[in-house]
Amino acid sequence: MKGLPPNWQISEIEPGLYSILDGTRSLEARVSRNHKGYVVDLNGQILEFELEDPRELSSGSRHHGRQGRADIVAPMPGKVVRVLVSAGDAVEEGQGLVVVEAMKMQNEMKAPKDGKVTAVSAKEGASIAAGQVLVTLE
Amino acid sequence: MFRKVLVANRGEIALRVIRALREMGIASVAVYSDADRNSLAVRMADEAVRLGPAPSAESYLRMDRILEAAALTGAEAIHPGYGFLSENDVFAAACESAGVKFIGPSAAAIRAVGSKTAARQVAKAAGAPIVPGIEEPVDSMDEARRVAREIGYPVLLKAVAGGGGKGMRRVDREADLEAALRDAASEAERSFRNAEVYIEKLVLEPRHIEIQVLGDEHGHMIHLGERECSLQRRHQKVIEESPSPVMLQYPELRHAMGEAALKVARAAGYYNAGTCEFLVDANRNFYFLEMNTRLQVEHPVTELVTVLDLVEWQLRIASGERLTLQQEDIQWRGWAIECRVYAEDPTADFMPSPGRIESVREPSGPGIRLDSAVYAGMTVPMEYDPLLAKLAVWASSRGRAIERMRRAISEYRISGIKTNLEFFDRVLADSEFRTGSFHTNYIPDFFARAGRSVAPTEDEMTAAKAIAVFHEAKRKPVTAGPAAGSRWRASLHAEVLR
Repeated sequence: MKGLPPNWQISEIEPGLYSILDGTRSLEARVSRNHKGYVVDLNGQILEFELEDPRELSSGSRHHGRQGRADIVAPMPGKVVRVLVSAGDAVEEGQGLVVVEAMKMQNEMKAPKDGKVTAVSAKEGASIAAGQVLVTLE
Repeated sequence: MFRKVLVANRGEIALRVIRALREMGIASVAVYSDADRNSLAVRMADEAVRLGPAPSAESYLRMDRILEAAALTGAEAIHPGYGFLSENDVFAAACESAGVKFIGPSAAAIRAVGSKTAARQVAKAAGAPIVPGIEEPVDSMDEARRVAREIGYPVLLKAVAGGGGKGMRRVDREADLEAALRDAASEAERSFRNAEVYIEKLVLEPRHIEIQVLGDEHGHMIHLGERECSLQRRHQKVIEESPSPVMLQYPELRHAMGEAALKVARAAGYYNAGTCEFLVDANRNFYFLEMNTRLQVEHPVTELVTVLDLVEWQLRIASGERLTLQQEDIQWRGWAIECRVYAEDPTADFMPSPGRIESVREPSGPGIRLDSAVYAGMTVPMEYDPLLAKLAVWASSRGRAIERMRRAISEYRISGIKTNLEFFDRVLADSEFRTGSFHTNYIPDFFARAGRSVAPTEDEMTAAKAIAVFHEAKRKPVTAGPAAGSRWRASLHAEVLR
């Protein structure tokens, strides 16, 4: 998903201040809001932007438009409860692919577009890390 | 020595003076406006007295209130800092009448070099080089035309009472002179309630270099070398260094300029700390510009390379002590650079950015000196200068000082308001700055060359948005299950709770 890149390990230092390990790369970010939108101080560089519907940014998928590959990644660390598809299945946009659970909350990961399942790396009962790829669509 | 001193200023310079007082075992009295009730100066001083509402005219410029505060607390002397009443001869005289020592030069010396034209006359009489022009305000168009022709275009029109670039106009040809004179005079009238304007030759691509002088009240005076102040925005300095890169190649220039500064200061009957400003052209001709009859904002770079405490000396001199340093005692070691950290937006023509500071992380470690007056949760008032802090570094060479400053900036975080920290990092990385050959138009040239801002890369933007989404999820936790429309929040919230 676009929300949290796969290799990130994120830790909150104080409200709004985050230490991120992107693999081994250390980043520090402070998030605040102004009247126009968000202000993120990323290692001293100030980035300002608006977020549209934040849901779009964390739809649980990383894909490039209607065409091409889409990785369905875990939005949080947790456990795979059920795998609903197999490699080779044709799926429709919105169809459930995998159910993951964390903190007693179950989340159904849905297909962001119509397509074909090319790989299923999620295994029922397995522990997963945030950002880990669960299913790949083509 | 005094037992108690009142600091008639605010912000970082008030802290600077309070710190010196504490090191010397002298009690300190802060004064404050309503906007500064919670300031560090009030909290760090031994005593504090309210002056009035936020506007300067009702607080820090109220001589009567300040003198009342001195009487109330029994302060024996007043340190005026810079700005506000620091170069006001009326205030210096009022202190004297009230029996309170003004820590600075005499009222007469301030008057002697207080206006730019008076200072030019003093300098000329003392034999210090001045920019070709006239010392008297122009009183007619005919005279202006004659003078401009005599010294040759381009010329600069300047307000007699001026400062900060107000009432200043460049004129390249005679056809533009009349309109420019009218504009300059009306701007001078609006800014200083004094429409008088004078003319001098425009020195092309000059450096702005100043000499620090220090003298006691018994006739002994020395200079402490130069500060390079060419990097300016809107005619205000933003980065200063000492030595000046010019002096590396031409060390004899320091001596020549130092002597010229001493001539002017002696001619004015000056004592305490003061600064003579010069323009230096490409051929290293230097011209006296004006004298600042106070402690300069950028004094820390001089302190770092000379290992002297200028505020301590100001206090000692004001208490009547002799300046025990001789000129040959003064040595300059290593390199110091200062960045003036302002609440402003360099991408929007350095527009001030007052507001609430959400958080501050200050740089530290080897060679760092931070004179700051801000803290997390503080609201930067809109009534005053937007200076937040002065970040100064010292290292053994200019190159090392630049790297140290970049390192310090990489540690420094101020959030909630805009600052010029990123801008400094760009300048310090700029090859032209690093060569040391620049002039007062460097910053506009830099923007023309390198752009006002650097657009973030796609990766940086993606990362920033990802963090914002994460933050948003954390900030607004949801109690409902993941079924509702807020699954994105629920899912992120789950992670947050881990």
